[in-house]
Amino acid sequence: MLNRREFGMLGAGLAMSGLAPRLAMAKDSGFKIMMTPKWTGFPYFELTGDGAKAAAKELGDTVIYAGADHAEVSLQVETLQNFVTQKPDAIILAAIDLNAVAPVLVDARKKGIVVATYDADAAVPARDFFCNQLSYEQAAKLMLDCALIDVPEGGEIAFIAASPTSPNHMAHIKIMTELSQSDAKYKVFKPVDTQFAADDDAKSYDVAVNLMQAHPNLKVIISSSAVSAPAAARAIEASGHVGKVYATGFALPSAIKRYLENGSQKAFGFWDPFELGYVVAYETHMKLAGKFDPSKVGATIEVPKANATFTAGKDGEVVYGKPLIFTKETVGKYNF
Amino acid sequence: MSNPSMPAPAETAPSRNLIQFALRLREAGVVAFLVLLGLAFGLLNDRFLSVQNLTIVASSAAILAIAACAQAVVLITRNLDVSVGSMMGLTAYLTADWAATHPGITPFEVVAIALLIGAALGAVNGLLVAYGKAPALIATLGTMSLYRGFTYIYAHGQEVTSSRLPPWMLTSVDARIAGVPALVLVAIAVVAAVAWFLYAYPLGRRIYAVGSNALAAWFFGLRSERVVFFAYTLCGLLCGVAGLLYAARVGTVTVVLASGWEMSSLAAAVIGGVSVSGGSGTVVGAALGAVVLATIDNGLVLLHVPEFWRMFIQGAAIVAAVAVDALIAEAIRRSTGGRRR
Amino acid sequence: MASRAKRQWPFWEIALVVAIFAAGAWSSTLSPYYLSVDQLFSSTRAFIIPGLLALGLAVVVSFGEIDISLTSTLAVGTVALSKFSAAGAPLYVAAPIVVLICGACGVFNGVLVAKWRLPSLAVTLGTMGAFRGLAFIVGSEVGYTDFNDAYSWLGSEYLFGGVVPASLVLFAIAAIAVWFLMHRTVYGRRCFSIGLNPDAAWFAGVGVIGVKIAAYALAGAFAGLAAIVWIGQYGSARGDNADGSILFVVTAVVLGGMDINGGRGTISGVALALFLLGTIRNGLGLANIGGPTQTVVLGLLLVGGVLRPAFAAALARLRRPVESADVGA
Repeated sequence: MLNRREFGMLGAGLAMSGLAPRLAMAKDSGFKIMMTPKWTGFPYFELTGDGAKAAAKELGDTVIYAGADHAEVSLQVETLQNFVTQKPDAIILAAIDLNAVAPVLVDARKKGIVVATYDADAAVPARDFFCNQLSYEQAAKLMLDCALIDVPEGGEIAFIAASPTSPNHMAHIKIMTELSQSDAKYKVFKPVDTQFAADDDAKSYDVAVNLMQAHPNLKVIISSSAVSAPAAARAIEASGHVGKVYATGFALPSAIKRYLENGSQKAFGFWDPFELGYVVAYETHMKLAGKFDPSKVGATIEVPKANATFTAGKDGEVVYGKPLIFTKETVGKYNF
Repeated sequence: MSNPSMPAPAETAPSRNLIQFALRLREAGVVAFLVLLGLAFGLLNDRFLSVQNLTIVASSAAILAIAACAQAVVLITRNLDVSVGSMMGLTAYLTADWAATHPGITPFEVVAIALLIGAALGAVNGLLVAYGKAPALIATLGTMSLYRGFTYIYAHGQEVTSSRLPPWMLTSVDARIAGVPALVLVAIAVVAAVAWFLYAYPLGRRIYAVGSNALAAWFFGLRSERVVFFAYTLCGLLCGVAGLLYAARVGTVTVVLASGWEMSSLAAAVIGGVSVSGGSGTVVGAALGAVVLATIDNGLVLLHVPEFWRMFIQGAAIVAAVAVDALIAEAIRRSTGGRRR
Repeated sequence: MASRAKRQWPFWEIALVVAIFAAGAWSSTLSPYYLSVDQLFSSTRAFIIPGLLALGLAVVVSFGEIDISLTSTLAVGTVALSKFSAAGAPLYVAAPIVVLICGACGVFNGVLVAKWRLPSLAVTLGTMGAFRGLAFIVGSEVGYTDFNDAYSWLGSEYLFGGVVPASLVLFAIAAIAVWFLMHRTVYGRRCFSIGLNPDAAWFAGVGVIGVKIAAYALAGAFAGLAAIVWIGQYGSARGDNADGSILFVVTAVVLGGMDINGGRGTISGVALALFLLGTIRNGLGLANIGGPTQTVVLGLLLVGGVLRPAFAAALARLRRPVESADVGA
């Protein structure tokens, strides 16, 4: 026969078990996050995947990283649709076309899935937040700063972007052009041309060669696309324009190490993709755990491993904002 | 059947001379088109006809010329190969990776590896089409996916960056001999060698025979399977060369290297007068077709024509080239008393 | 030869059906999410657009030609729709006109191939670039996304209680219509006869040129329909829509048993092949198996499918060694 104490404990136990499912829903770990890049097989994106997985491991979540092998819109939408079917807690993606992915992502959000974008944004209603590696202004200034390192006295500059429909590249170019007209520091530069290379190396190479041909006084080729910058550097080297024309912009250090070391190029910019992946997964986890609400402008989140605190801005944009400049002296420090 | 402009040859083959003349005419057509283009661009932009610019055009055409040559060899046998881009990519990646992980490697070894891998890949295509009797489009569509997929799986998300490649690989491609880029010289040598082979050697002639009239070739006792197999293997070999040069030229070897080049090589060959129905056209023509494409691209950039117009113009150029080619072919057929199809 | 062709078709389709079930079974072991009615139906959306293109292409392939410009025609269609949408035109005005425009693109191909007798691969290689360039020029670089609900209905709506995509219904209607056209009408028979023996067909009085141009027009019109579905499914009209997916369309047609040289094949085979490809893609995708592996599987399927006649012939030769005359084989 149960005495009063035991009876009380039994009652409490029953009450707790009734509460338990609801308590378990307010969990703060063990989330399933699915991640897809623009296309797999590109080291930059693979590193972001690794970073996200590292964050997940620390926080007790799982990250599944998958995607198509080339950047095709319909394939990315298909991948996202398959993600949604698998009922994850969150989806992270780098969108190829910001509008084409909107229908499936809006649907995902309706189902309670948290959607985060990084590297390339989707339409605002389609995602909970956008972890922008650099704000467009930061990116533009970074590239122009690198150009200043190359040619402090200024001159003609030209831009290479992936396509007229890549929002980040076009935004960079627009801001760089504005800065070159309005900001005293960058007034020395005069943009003369913009060409598109579809993130293809051979095309970037040919485009760079053609740019140098079309503009004999060209001083710097600035490329937002991490595929085009090394190709442009190669083109400069191959066509014997070393020292007369410089290539800069965004590139993985491993891709431009050679040109920095042999002195044909002076500076490139980028950010740490591993850390970017880590941060976006961390932020996603915090949102899922209810500890971070990016819809509130000014909400902050601290990421210890990144030694930084990030703030949510307008339209859910959380800028990661840690630009890096690689020069001959610093490029050896990085292993990506 | 007499033609006043031709000398009266021996009774054995009056129409053969006319055909030779017409074949030469086809090349002349492409050359004429090229000259016209050059003049037009030269008039519109004074920088076009400079030696420096023409060298650039030649350099960017060089690798495509070799790929077009590869495609032409297969086209002449009345087949095609849409795995050209994937073969280039896989060969380039495997060779570059090998070179990066074996630092003491010699140029000879690198080239040999590229040739071997390319030939092997082409041989698989040859087996499927010649002996497996698979339709060329489908078989090479399948191998296109297989080869590209394998490149991905092998690469594991890596790319071979320029700093890992042996430096001589990059510098040798940039080198100039008497002001002409080494790349262009290699391309000319390769195309000339293949053209000579097709013209002077029996096996080369058989490639034409099988393509122009397979039934007659069979009656002659030609083993068409062997010829087609050889054509595909040669195509793969040439793709190996092209892939290697591509990797050295651009410096970074990615998994998507040369994707889409099957279409470009086909376009170049078609513009160059190689008939898709086999049996006619030359590899020199295909190489010239590559030059035409590079010229259009270069000229339009110099003229600041937006990207999209280029796409449109290149597509229109292909249609125009095919139409002209068909007109010539029809003229030949009619004058040699061929049957209306 | 015709009777051997007849005996061959059901065999291939039965093989496809078996393959579909096998792929489905395998997919359900790969992922627990596979076997749900909702999922299965909504996964069909991934291949309805290529499916519509494949139906049109199948008609062209039936007489031995090809059309690789269909994806570019689709882009022309989406861009044209964007112009109508921007001008505020209602869908019932825009849609038929766009289908006509795309059909006209098809007629252009058809005239070049049928009347001028240019090789279809080369011609459509050219128009592939030209049409896409045209789509970019007209559509401008940024693209257009402000489609209202009426325009998006076909590609995004679900019918029958929110389960069956409206575009799937369209595809079913289209597939049945094309099947009827190719296998139950004189036109279809003319197509196949041209494929089997162009000279005989011509001598028999078949209007070869008219048949071919009509087929190209049909393929173009289907690309226009696919464009309408595209708008609803992806919500964006840009010059690079569907760029690069023509090879998937060709794969579906070829895997469906259509002889690439013309004269043989069935529309039901093409539809089944689409389902098979869709099932495999869906199953692999749900198991998060990477794109490259999918590409390899696709390649193996093609190569395997293409070797099937060779295997069958080799088996036949083994069974009747005396009878087989080694005619140059």
